[in-house]
Amino acid sequence: MKAILRLLLLALFFLPVAVFSQSRTIKGFVTDSAGAPLEGVSVTVKGTHKSVVTNAEGRFTISTGSPGAILEFSYVGYISREVPASNGTAVTVTLTSRGGQMNDVVVTGYGQSAKKNITGSIASISSEDFNAGVISTPGELLQGKVAGINVTKSGDPNEQPVVILRGASTFRSGSAQQPLYVIDGVPDASIDLVAPSDIATIDVLKDASATAIYGARAANGVIMITTRKPKTGQTRLAYNAYVSAEQVSKRLSMFTGNQLRQYLINNGSPLVPGNSSGDYDDSLANTNWQNQVQQTGISQNHNIYFGGNTGNTIYGASINYFDNVGVMKGSSLQRTSIRANVEHRMFNDHLRLGLTVLNANSTSDQIPSQVFENMLIFMPTLNVKEAGSAYSTEYPYGPLNPVSLIANNTDQSKMKTFLANALAEVKIQPGLKYTLSLTDQTTDTTTEIYEDSQSELARGLNGVANSSTTSNTKELIESFFNYDHNFGLHNIKLLGGYSWEQDVLGRGFGVTTQNFSNDQVGPNNLAFSNPPAGTIVLANSNIGTLKLISYYARVNYIFNDKYLFQASLRDDGSSAFGANNHWGLFPAVSGGWRLSKESFLQSATWLDDLKLRVGYGVTGNSLGFDPLIAQQQYGITGRFLSNGEAINAIGVTQNANPDLKWESTATTNIGTDFSLWKGLLSGSVDYYIKTTSNLIWSYPVSSTQYPYPDLTTNIGKISNKGVELTLIATPVKTRNFTWRSTLTAAHNTNKILSLSNSQFNEQSINTAFLGGQGQSDNWSQILQVGHPIGTFDIWHYAGKNQAGVTQIEAADGADTLTPTTADFRIEGNAQPMLLLGWNNTFTYKQFDLNVFFRAVTGNKILNATLAGLNNPSSAHFQNLPTFSESESFNDFNSYLISDRYLESGTYLRLDNATLGYTVPIHSPSVNRMRFYTSVNNAFILTKYKGIDPEITQGGLTPGIDNSNFYPKTRSYLLGVNVIF
Amino acid sequence: MQIMKKIVSVIIGGAFLLSMGCTKLNVPIQSQYTPANFPTTSSDFTAAIGPIYTGLANNSSAGTRYAVEYWRMQELSTDEAIIPARNGNYDDGGQYRFLHLHTWSPDHIDVVSCWEWGFSGIDQCNSLVNVFNAAPASASKGPAIAEVKAMRDLFYFFMMDLYGNIPIIDTFPVVGYPATQPRAQVFAFIEKDLLSLLPSLSTTVDASTYGRATKYMAFALLEKMYLNAAYYTGTPRYTDAVSMADSILINGPYSLDANYGSVFAPTNGPGVQETIFAVPYDANLIPGDQINRYGGATYVYPLYNLPQPESVAMSTDSGFYHQNFILPGDTRDTFWVRGPQYYFANQQIEASLYPSGIIPILQNLYPLAIFPASYTALYANYTSGTLPGVYYYLGAPYDIAFWNINYTDSLVLRGDPSKMDVGDDVFAQCEGIRSKKFYPDPNENSQTEDANNDVPVFRLADVLLMKAEAILRGASATTVKGTLQTPVVLANIVRSRVGAQLATSSFSVDSILPERAREFAWEGWRRNDLIRFGLFEGAWGFNLGNGSPDLRIYPVPSTELSLNPNLVQNPGY
Repeated sequence: MKAILRLLLLALFFLPVAVFSQSRTIKGFVTDSAGAPLEGVSVTVKGTHKSVVTNAEGRFTISTGSPGAILEFSYVGYISREVPASNGTAVTVTLTSRGGQMNDVVVTGYGQSAKKNITGSIASISSEDFNAGVISTPGELLQGKVAGINVTKSGDPNEQPVVILRGASTFRSGSAQQPLYVIDGVPDASIDLVAPSDIATIDVLKDASATAIYGARAANGVIMITTRKPKTGQTRLAYNAYVSAEQVSKRLSMFTGNQLRQYLINNGSPLVPGNSSGDYDDSLANTNWQNQVQQTGISQNHNIYFGGNTGNTIYGASINYFDNVGVMKGSSLQRTSIRANVEHRMFNDHLRLGLTVLNANSTSDQIPSQVFENMLIFMPTLNVKEAGSAYSTEYPYGPLNPVSLIANNTDQSKMKTFLANALAEVKIQPGLKYTLSLTDQTTDTTTEIYEDSQSELARGLNGVANSSTTSNTKELIESFFNYDHNFGLHNIKLLGGYSWEQDVLGRGFGVTTQNFSNDQVGPNNLAFSNPPAGTIVLANSNIGTLKLISYYARVNYIFNDKYLFQASLRDDGSSAFGANNHWGLFPAVSGGWRLSKESFLQSATWLDDLKLRVGYGVTGNSLGFDPLIAQQQYGITGRFLSNGEAINAIGVTQNANPDLKWESTATTNIGTDFSLWKGLLSGSVDYYIKTTSNLIWSYPVSSTQYPYPDLTTNIGKISNKGVELTLIATPVKTRNFTWRSTLTAAHNTNKILSLSNSQFNEQSINTAFLGGQGQSDNWSQILQVGHPIGTFDIWHYAGKNQAGVTQIEAADGADTLTPTTADFRIEGNAQPMLLLGWNNTFTYKQFDLNVFFRAVTGNKILNATLAGLNNPSSAHFQNLPTFSESESFNDFNSYLISDRYLESGTYLRLDNATLGYTVPIHSPSVNRMRFYTSVNNAFILTKYKGIDPEITQGGLTPGIDNSNFYPKTRSYLLGVNVIF
Repeated sequence: MQIMKKIVSVIIGGAFLLSMGCTKLNVPIQSQYTPANFPTTSSDFTAAIGPIYTGLANNSSAGTRYAVEYWRMQELSTDEAIIPARNGNYDDGGQYRFLHLHTWSPDHIDVVSCWEWGFSGIDQCNSLVNVFNAAPASASKGPAIAEVKAMRDLFYFFMMDLYGNIPIIDTFPVVGYPATQPRAQVFAFIEKDLLSLLPSLSTTVDASTYGRATKYMAFALLEKMYLNAAYYTGTPRYTDAVSMADSILINGPYSLDANYGSVFAPTNGPGVQETIFAVPYDANLIPGDQINRYGGATYVYPLYNLPQPESVAMSTDSGFYHQNFILPGDTRDTFWVRGPQYYFANQQIEASLYPSGIIPILQNLYPLAIFPASYTALYANYTSGTLPGVYYYLGAPYDIAFWNINYTDSLVLRGDPSKMDVGDDVFAQCEGIRSKKFYPDPNENSQTEDANNDVPVFRLADVLLMKAEAILRGASATTVKGTLQTPVVLANIVRSRVGAQLATSSFSVDSILPERAREFAWEGWRRNDLIRFGLFEGAWGFNLGNGSPDLRIYPVPSTELSLNPNLVQNPGY
């Protein structure tokens, strides 16, 4: 590496230098075709880097340098113009909207391209269209805004949203299902680093022809995040801030203490009053436990940004402070992010050097997951505390006091993420550019968990403390050439590059110890513990070095601005895979035809642009992999007596599979982009077929052949087929009033095609063990050939018998009170039919109003929470939902998980409504000032009986609500944007 | 300028090519053991043998523990132990009920997990034989290989006893799919292998070999096999059984402990003089002893100073108790928990209320006035408020009665009979006789309820009673250390230790089964004994008996049949 830097410096030294300087001043005014001033239009003196932008009144001043200069006016969404600068005269320029977004620049891998020249399926969202609200991660900005992306998130400030692009195409969960995030060109950078307010645009690369350049990590799509940078000539200072109040959007309707007492009296089994200890479950109280553990969370975000662009130098820095207080007491996220970048062009533009530094420090407080179940079932007949001090308890093995769970257990993580990126771009000759980008990222996490002496999770242990640290590092070199050449009617673009990445994951240590003499220090000083022999647990560190080496190339060819062609190839090597399959090739080809450029459509003046796109490519999924996954491993299998001492036994804990390789996804995409009536209506439609083979699964192997019962191997196939539609319309546009409306719709069909390979043959795999009384051997979902992931395989509810007892329809059709697993049947699935997003922006003079609706239809949710709650015969020690009011007290089967609890997940949500007012300011120091107020999740229309139908759609077992759901929230927000 | 540009191009090109030089994907292994770095040292080899023993005690990947899943296969299928459902709880898909009723299937969770447990142990032993064979020559090499093979033979014995016909695998890696072999061949394989190992196995009996395979473990295992040979292979081997017993009785440093209870106490271990081979457990270090967790001391946990109440699940069959625990003076009777429960003398809390010094363990009841009708038949005089054991009432708003905890012998299905459900109120929870033979451990892990009691597999009393049985079945009595050991002599060694009435000349082969029931209750041998005596098809509890003799061996799990085409399902499944 050092050698490379040295060579580069040498190269810089020899590059030619040319700087001129002269001065003439021109003033001007830019409007749109309706006569309204346009702010932010870039005005550049042609052939130079002299550039300014227009202010809020559309005015600008620029010094041209020489007479006869030509000014270039460009603005996103408008047709650029060149106007000769006549000295001394004010220039008035009208820009016309070019309709749609055809000329917008789209960020692709290792480069960028005009939207009109794109042959793949790429959706771009810019900051004004991002979701508003208390938002901690980029994924949430896109929810409902990009057709084909399915984002689900609970109200937990610390939970990452689950982002699934074009249907699940893996059996693995977590990061294996998530798209690859590329932040300012750095692949797989931590998304915690970027404050949402710092993001300018997000481009979502959906099909293989767009993503294949990222090879073995691109199968779930690629999300390209571009942070904001000042335009040429701009210097600015901006302050964005909001404060928000968040509440739970819904509470489950449970019995009050009085209702429960009355219910039990009515059924001849009243509670025993008493209030001394856990043996009694009634102290004549009426406690609403959901109220006790929930709060109004006041959250705030402040972002200060300043930056400038002198043409040759671009600099910018921002500080963001985010404090998200959860609606569940004890849960919160605080994050401070800092971003600084500087970029300089030298040697007559032959060299561009850049340095970007990102840092984020966050503190997460989490609460035990048992709170969610216990806030529902803990007896409302008990007080929070009995006899003044001690938290009330139920009889041992009963539910746990949710207030005590929060008060006596702490779980705090501190994470520090740092990324530095150095960039050098050299113009070797016209059209040929070389880019070298070096990135270093470090993530350090410290987690401290303490279950104190009163904790019911560590009864009688006098405090259990766990302290651990983990450090992950990433080093990345991207080195590539771009060549761009026009000759005649031909345009050709070439890309060739090499990438080297090394991730070291999981370095660190962790200790769990117990028995403290008080609760004052806990995990902060483990030395105060007095652990009995054998109770100290040292974390089993798993340091993994993952090395990825890739070669990639791409060709773009455009003929006559009409026929577009692209081909790309990436050769990816990964150390995580079996010795026999280290390397894989990921090709893609695509073509586009701009019909609107054909002579036979020239007469159609209503048609601005029409393009057909077809692409095919293969991508891989190697995300979320233990670097040693393919090797035989020995681990600690327990202890045994050796010379009378219990020492570690070390044995095989993983079978080797030298043939293991990545999941491979082949995508065919057919699409069209169009723009009509001068941009009043534009949009795109895409149809895709995505087939993933070599799915990775831990397959059970014959115990007569292997010492370890499963083998991680490649089996089976899954397909996703779907249609996506995006429509952008401007139904009304006058000088004072504009209505812009965007509709996205996506339909996906997910289907398992095979669960077999040459070695293993299986028709179905049972998943989703939910437990529950007497059901600890039952599963609730099945992976079965011909059905989608998330298919429910449960009992069929057959009504109640005369005694009021729930019956299940047995496999032979008869009703039974004692169903077995043989009586399970397939009862629908968790995959949505249609995802809809409808965004409307109205501007009237200084006011702007945004109304965003989101809908999901056709999915099923298994409300296992309600099933578990609906247990009348347990009402002596767990509370009942008001749903149970009409249930027979004798129904000993009421809680059995059956299709009685399988509900429609269809909903329509007014996701966000924002009203903004831009203060008319005529001040040289303040450019723009806007106040806004916003409500998130204003209302929801749904028949779902649980807290919220937005149950995670990710993982192998989507669509299950099982008492582990952090409630959704409704938030009210007040914000300000000021630009100086 | 053109020249400059060329130079620059060359330099850039050079930089690019240099950076492309890194094409190697090999990465260092820093925190894991793989075949590249393990085992190498002598400590490695010591640690490498460990998985055999941890696997026996608690095979976490198969989810199988000797004292839980294996134990259930051998005990819940007999009259010694039963887990009824409690208002749906402890039904767990019927797994305990199926064992009790002899209606298990090839998918039964324990049938599946014990197969994985056994063959995982066998594969591990075979792979370790390779590891030791490849190790440099040393004095410990031969004994280490012998120990590993003896443990493999023990796993083989467990598998042969449970599943009958199983594949014989003695190499690793396993090439192809091993095929099912008849039980007689498996027997012959184990016998031959064990006999060949005898010269190399350790004869040391102390803390250093406690819980490890020794020569005496091999003798005891062979004695067990020979005693059952008529059933396993069709050929009786009673004389061989006696000879194996004598190998232990003459040369082994074993003696019966004076206190029967200490053999199973939480403090048991190398100090017990009669244990030949035990599975060592530790509440924290070697988890997996949960005999007491299921043993049901819910309401009496303060009596045993337990950190928390145990589960109410498991008890014994009333018939089993009453048929067998009938000897006058037998202290083994006291290891069952029956009838009303009182605090021990040293736990006299609230003594002023009970001047008699007998303090009942109490549980509050629901108000009597609205007592469910189903109870009135059972506790007939309850409604009058005169039932013994009801201590006092409180006033408004409801009257409350406190009840002296009282474990009743019989199990009455007041819940759903098809689920073998006894109901789940305090009376139902107190139905059934509980065992405290593996004495409740106050130092158990308060989270997992794992206890410190080691679980014996072979002990001297078994060697003695097996010898007595072999003689009663046809072998000749032999003289050991100057005493002619007739069956009566052997039985009385066992009986006199527990103060039971001594056996007389009427002691016959039919006396053996009740004697073993008393001595080895809940030690995992009842199924083996019942089958040998032809009584496994008998009726007890809710099991109506008369099942097929095919049920004497368990089925090959259906998961295994689908993964290995050369396995043959056992007859009748």
